[in-house]
Amino acid sequence: MIVYEKQFLDDLALLEEANSLREAGFISKEQRDFIKKQLPDFRGNSNILVRLGFFLLGAFLYLSICGAISLLGLSGENFFFKICCYIFAAVGFTGAELLANQKYYGHGLEDAFCLGAILNVGFAIAITTEGYELIIAIFVAIASFVMYRRYLHLLSLLVFCLASSAVLFYGLFEFGPVGKTILPFAAMIVSAAFYFSTKKTISNLKERYYYNGLLLANSFCLVLVYLSCNYLVVRELSVMLLGNEILPGKDIPFAIFFYAFTFIVPIVYLAQALKTKDRIMLWISFLAIGFSIYTIRFYYSVLPIEVALTLGGLVLFAIAYFSIRNLKNKESGLTFKPDRINSSNAFLNAEAFIVASTVGLKPEVKSESPMDFGGGGFSGGGSEGTF
Amino acid sequence: MNKFDDQATKALLDRNLITENQYQEISSYRNLNIFSLNAELKFFLYLSVLLFTSGIGILIYENIDSIGHIAILSLLLIVIAVCFYYCFKNAKGFQKSETTFEHPVLEYLVLLANILTCIFIGYLQFQYKPFGTHYGLATLIPTVVSFFCAYYFDNKSVLTIAITGLAAYVGLSVTPQDLLNNSYFYADPTLSYSAIMLGVLLILWTVYSTRTQLKTHFTIIYLTFALHIISIASINSLVDYYSEGIWLIFAFVLAGSSYYFYKVSHNLKAISLYVFMIVYAYIGFNIFLFRVFEHVDFSEIWELFILILPIYFIGSIVLFIKLIKNFNKEIAK
Repeated sequence: MIVYEKQFLDDLALLEEANSLREAGFISKEQRDFIKKQLPDFRGNSNILVRLGFFLLGAFLYLSICGAISLLGLSGENFFFKICCYIFAAVGFTGAELLANQKYYGHGLEDAFCLGAILNVGFAIAITTEGYELIIAIFVAIASFVMYRRYLHLLSLLVFCLASSAVLFYGLFEFGPVGKTILPFAAMIVSAAFYFSTKKTISNLKERYYYNGLLLANSFCLVLVYLSCNYLVVRELSVMLLGNEILPGKDIPFAIFFYAFTFIVPIVYLAQALKTKDRIMLWISFLAIGFSIYTIRFYYSVLPIEVALTLGGLVLFAIAYFSIRNLKNKESGLTFKPDRINSSNAFLNAEAFIVASTVGLKPEVKSESPMDFGGGGFSGGGSEGTF
Repeated sequence: MNKFDDQATKALLDRNLITENQYQEISSYRNLNIFSLNAELKFFLYLSVLLFTSGIGILIYENIDSIGHIAILSLLLIVIAVCFYYCFKNAKGFQKSETTFEHPVLEYLVLLANILTCIFIGYLQFQYKPFGTHYGLATLIPTVVSFFCAYYFDNKSVLTIAITGLAAYVGLSVTPQDLLNNSYFYADPTLSYSAIMLGVLLILWTVYSTRTQLKTHFTIIYLTFALHIISIASINSLVDYYSEGIWLIFAFVLAGSSYYFYKVSHNLKAISLYVFMIVYAYIGFNIFLFRVFEHVDFSEIWELFILILPIYFIGSIVLFIKLIKNFNKEIAK
């Protein structure tokens, strides 16, 4: 099913390993270059910026091809409109196939074609079925899974995960109010089941190239388990889907369960991540803790925002300070020493960028105050690794 | 722990691409089972500084009339003084090369002290107007303090604050969001002249620092700002100036800066500069083409135009692939 030869993928893994050993300083630059010369020529971009640039270019190319086709098909009028998305999807598949045959992997161009094809499959089905969500989700899931299995395209797998959860949701909607009521529990049970099954598959896995995909699916399940029974999500969805208005003094059914879930799960994640030394789970647990705090503040304004921010900063500082003090001199296991092989430096480099976007000084043209303190708004803190 | 990494290392050994010694070293390191929280904890420190200062900022802003001003000011001053005291006590003093603190927390303490100083001066100016209507001075002083801290304590985050402060003094907002929205340039087209001047100034400063070996690791930050400021300002003016041929001047500015950054990104081996340079040059080139073709009547042949478009993009892609490949080859030397 995979378009790439097995040898190609193995060689790719060797090159990645050589790169990470070079970064860790175990082998010299000359040795890495030598290894690179021994292996066949790959067309891929390890730099995220370059990949993003090629993704944009690929998207332009895709769009312009679709534009040219539409120009030719305009005479078909209504009939053309019905089938145009199928044609565009076919263009996407053809493009992805062509690029894969040229040994493009992780380059950026093929991202545009893979994602474009999936998107167009969705549009095409939406036009044919006149917007029947369940069918659209099923077809998108199938298309993205095919993309992943054939081109090992991780972003497609992410789309697949999203689409399959959509299939689950819309499937339950078919059962009417009963389905909507059991939705959180069903989502939690299903994603937990998938979490454990993917975990088991990973530990028995023989082929390296499925590892990243399974890891992604595994992490996705972890996020979904948390979100499925988070109090905020459940409450807002029940207002939206069931039309339940929650009167003051009343609460959603099983509120205590959801509250408990919102608090216990992040802590379980955190403990488990530190125990099994699982970095992805650690990050998910951080995000989950953050979202749990947000959940509470969403319904109960415990403290005014400025006091909450100031105190939060102090508490976080204390936690970090004492953790550093305890971990500073440890040589193995859990430690503060940077890991030579798996360093997450990329995002420390983004620090300066985030500072510039949150506390950068602004000229005084707008307000009478000499400066805007730039307090609040952390939304612009995407780590782009500009520096 | 990923069993496949070990397998790959073994495979490298089997193909004689690494030596037995290296393999031993690598596997013994892996067996230490290191799980480093370095980046995470540093990020927490950093987040705590941002949370704390935003909290303080809002606190002052909201209560600007209710709590005693003197109380707030003196409290702020005490916190700033304590922070700076610790920083100066543990700093190694000014050095021309890259330095780090022994304790990682201090780096963030510098950042905290700096942001608080900015808030302090801002508040002072708002409430007591010590600089009168010289708002520029009120921006310049935090900027000077930030530059001093950035160079003395060797702190990149503080340096970015200093640069945004310098730009604010000129009348520009160069925080990343504002550069993207570029609402400032629309408000006042003459600002693009000052923006380009500022960019050139930053470049000249990097040239000087490289010559005198003064904090050469700051160069990339200055250049990143310079590249974005100059490129966005000139692209804006390319679009804006319609009546006269002024836009041609900006086309030349953009071409010149692209050439400079092409050279300098090779020297610094900085792919981020290179990629953005290409992106800006490409956007500028397309606008240039558009402006040239503006006077041609396309009503007859627009269909041909759309059919040619895919070929144009394929051509650009081939060109970009070549450029990136060249760059990778050049920096590998």
